[in-house]
Amino acid sequence: MNEQPVKYHRPLSPRISIYRWRAPMLASIAHRASGVALVLFVPLYLWLLHGMTSSPDHYDATLTWLHSLPGKCSLWFVGVALVYHFSNGIRFLLIDVGWGESRKMMRFSALVVLFIAALASLMFAWLLFL
Amino acid sequence: MSKMITLSVFRYEPGKDEKPSMQTFEVPMLKPGMKLLDALNYIKWEIDGTLSYRRSCGEGVCGSDGLNINGVNGLACITPIEGLKQPIHVRPLPSMQVIRDLVVDMDHFFDQYRQIKPWLQAESPLPEHERLQSPEDRERLDGSYECILCGCCTTSCPSWWWNGDRFLGPAALLQANRWIVDSRDEATGDRLDQVEDAFRLYRCHQIMNCMDACPKDLNPTAAIGHIKRKLVSRKS
Repeated sequence: MNEQPVKYHRPLSPRISIYRWRAPMLASIAHRASGVALVLFVPLYLWLLHGMTSSPDHYDATLTWLHSLPGKCSLWFVGVALVYHFSNGIRFLLIDVGWGESRKMMRFSALVVLFIAALASLMFAWLLFL
Repeated sequence: MSKMITLSVFRYEPGKDEKPSMQTFEVPMLKPGMKLLDALNYIKWEIDGTLSYRRSCGEGVCGSDGLNINGVNGLACITPIEGLKQPIHVRPLPSMQVIRDLVVDMDHFFDQYRQIKPWLQAESPLPEHERLQSPEDRERLDGSYECILCGCCTTSCPSWWWNGDRFLGPAALLQANRWIVDSRDEATGDRLDQVEDAFRLYRCHQIMNCMDACPKDLNPTAAIGHIKRKLVSRKS
């Protein structure tokens, strides 16, 4: 007769937990993460600017902090984020105007910017910690 | 004895299983060049007839057997077993409602396709014969018309996972672009109006999983880029 079909529960299939990370996906997520990091560090830049310009005592204290481990780590982190965001930003702009839109180039350019960031991270580590 | 392949397959039986789980199967390597669909068929026909999945043409034309294979979306029928790391993890397309095992509800996906009005819209009177197109104009449809709507791209997109209710997703947008570039279509303005929206089009953040996943080697990211440039050039 007029039997209602039974409504069974339909679970959501797994997504972020199972999707394999490929270079373009990593490049895109890292772009957003580095952008957020650069904004979150704005108070630190202002604090440094204030410390460097207000008085000689402040200047010395700021310089000491910059040479401490947290200071060096912050500089390293912000430096890597800036280099990455800058290079991938250019990559995104080029793709936006239609340059390097082939599947091959999209993959290759993702690897290039990730490589640049890796190189920058090593270079900053060498400059700051060695 | 032939070589054995190990598969780990997503299982869910509505009304019986509380939660989905993964089940391991061992399948013999039946022939060189064996595809993943052959392994699923072997499980269904020889081991466990209750395994459910969609399939039809078996040669990458119908788009029925889009699955998540070892973490990346693709068509089971054209994915060779060789080259896949074992155990081969076979799951339904991501971020979809699972009806049973590997079968997902595609209604919303096809509804989004319908939203871009995937048909020729022309006001001008019909010519005596068909609406003609120059070979150059026809060529501009290459890279769009091959889409088989398998859903591999759309369900690979993290933006669509979080905002799939409002973001049209790569497949629908690739199709939107297909009609925007068609020289015979006269509704380009309306089509652009329809997608010009913070969510419908601009949720694309160039993650490029769609390009990476497409089993037909198409590039939805580039198609979305083309729509964006069309919108910009219309303004200037």
